Amino acid sequence: MNVSAVYLKRGDTGKLVEASLVDEVTDAHLSLWENSWGPVMKVRCANRTSSDKPEDYHWDWRQKAGWWRPLLGYHSFALLCRNELQGLMLASDFRSARIQMQFGKPIIYVEFLATAPWNRPELKKPTRYRGVGTVMMAAAVELSFELGYRGRISLHSLPAAEPFYRDSCKMTGLGADAAHHDLMYFEMTSSQAEAFRQKP
Amino acid sequence: MTLNLTPREMAVLEELAAAKDLSKTGVMKLALRLLQAMDAKVRMGQKLFVEDDKTKEKSELVIL
Repeated sequence: MNVSAVYLKRGDTGKLVEASLVDEVTDAHLSLWENSWGPVMKVRCANRTSSDKPEDYHWDWRQKAGWWRPLLGYHSFALLCRNELQGLMLASDFRSARIQMQFGKPIIYVEFLATAPWNRPELKKPTRYRGVGTVMMAAAVELSFELGYRGRISLHSLPAAEPFYRDSCKMTGLGADAAHHDLMYFEMTSSQAEAFRQKP
Repeated sequence: MTLNLTPREMAVLEELAAAKDLSKTGVMKLALRLLQAMDAKVRMGQKLFVEDDKTKEKSELVIL
């Protein structure tokens, strides 16, 4: 298990704060999810209708961990700041790229990516921290380079997150995928990954 | 460990390494991860299918 120093921005002042990116979600992280993230999410969504709740409201990270943990092809990440869990991500490494220029080549696929409820502007303003999604996407890109995939990554985006992947991460949208609940499918090519890496 | 491959197996490995833009070691590791993931799906009672993109015809893949 490796821990890397990364930086988030405080939601109120914009000041950089050091955080820790861990390349394995442990039981301790899952306990933080159950005991802090989960209850806060429930409280903040208590009076919301199902359609108004965050699209990942139903994700059960403890249950997900049950199936990914024994498998070599899955990579999980936890982002912590001041002993609080700020984000979780699960990626897999055995899918193929779809864009013509990299078609059939292996790609890192982001299965799930979520930020803690206190970092979501629709649930808390100002957010506690900003930049969780960017740090996680950078981790997926680095994993891709480490495995020799030259930075190629892909994902299906929940509707609310599409602008982030399209505009901030500069990924290429390949349209809604009927085989995946009509979610928009995005890929990052090697050259896009290089540009993303160099982004300040 | 040492992996002994027949010339035909080595040729396939080299072909895949070129096609996938990976080293031969990378291909072998990817194959292991993929087989384990597929085997886990089958053990959970799921089936693996391949679909023809044009005809949408599906055929089941059997992984031992």
